[in-house]
Amino acid sequence: MTERTDMSLSERLATWARLKSPWITIFNSGACNACDIEIIATLTPRFDVERFGILAKGSPRHADILIVTGPVTRKQAPRLRRIYEQMPEPKYVIAMGACGSQGGVFQGLYHVLNSVEDVVPVDVYVAGCPPRPDEIINGVVETLRLMGEDVARGGKEWRKKQPAPPGEPAGEGRKAEVGP
Amino acid sequence: MTEPLTLERAKEVLEVFGPVAQLRSNRIQVVTAREKARDALKAALGPLSCERLIQMSVTDAGEAFELTYHLTGQHRTVISIRVNLPRADPSVPSVHDILLAAGIYERQIHDLFGIVFPGHPNLKRIILNEDWPEKEYPMRKDWKPEKGTFYGGIKEEVK
Repeated sequence: MTERTDMSLSERLATWARLKSPWITIFNSGACNACDIEIIATLTPRFDVERFGILAKGSPRHADILIVTGPVTRKQAPRLRRIYEQMPEPKYVIAMGACGSQGGVFQGLYHVLNSVEDVVPVDVYVAGCPPRPDEIINGVVETLRLMGEDVARGGKEWRKKQPAPPGEPAGEGRKAEVGP
Repeated sequence: MTEPLTLERAKEVLEVFGPVAQLRSNRIQVVTAREKARDALKAALGPLSCERLIQMSVTDAGEAFELTYHLTGQHRTVISIRVNLPRADPSVPSVHDILLAAGIYERQIHDLFGIVFPGHPNLKRIILNEDWPEKEYPMRKDWKPEKGTFYGGIKEEVK
């Protein structure tokens, strides 16, 4: 991360504090609870995430990072969107487990949307079913790296996929057609 | 300790409604017509003292739905009352008034299979999401999601 010189002292202070102590909130959008149990294991003294300043908060209004576990059920989708909208900027989303990335074992069922990315923009995916606590910590640390990069580059725009230039065939889409 | 329920005793009471068979050591099944389903249930509730509903199950067997009431009581023998409902007209009178616990199962079955229970006081959506389209029953074997139909969830794209 490169230091930006055009930031005021208070902005630099806020950025420093944010990177030193990310507050996370957890949302279960229809998971089987294994991911949630792993998150609880992450918070225990054995893994001790507070040494990184990671603090689990009950309210999305206090959080910087939203961890979403599970495929998004059709009932939960509007709730997930509303919770995401309640978070203050800058906000980051971690999709956890196989379900969060593309549905996992629930993929293609009538009551799920298959991916967190269909509802809220996802920054980091954590693989696994369920991911181990150290992988969750790794995901959060990776999010912190992204946060620092975003501050240095002035926003999230640099990570957005560019549309294919005219004349060239578009790249393979993320969403392969799956379903029953 | 109550007396165990024997097949002979079950046959005495339930034979008038349809063929009675012992499926397993503690499970007796009677297959009946839907007009007699209520009376068969009353007989199981009263004389056979099966006053507890374990569950109501539905199997999609192609041309018919096999609706089964599983009942039991102090004697711990399970009585299964099976009704075959034609796919063209899947309806059976509600038993909510004589067996209170059946009401919530009937709502659920109505939601997922589209079986109608005339006489139910509140036969409306219980388990699917609120914006699920009407006349779509996802647990039927021949159900497929239509392309272009909105099945609920969220309409606005990700910003």
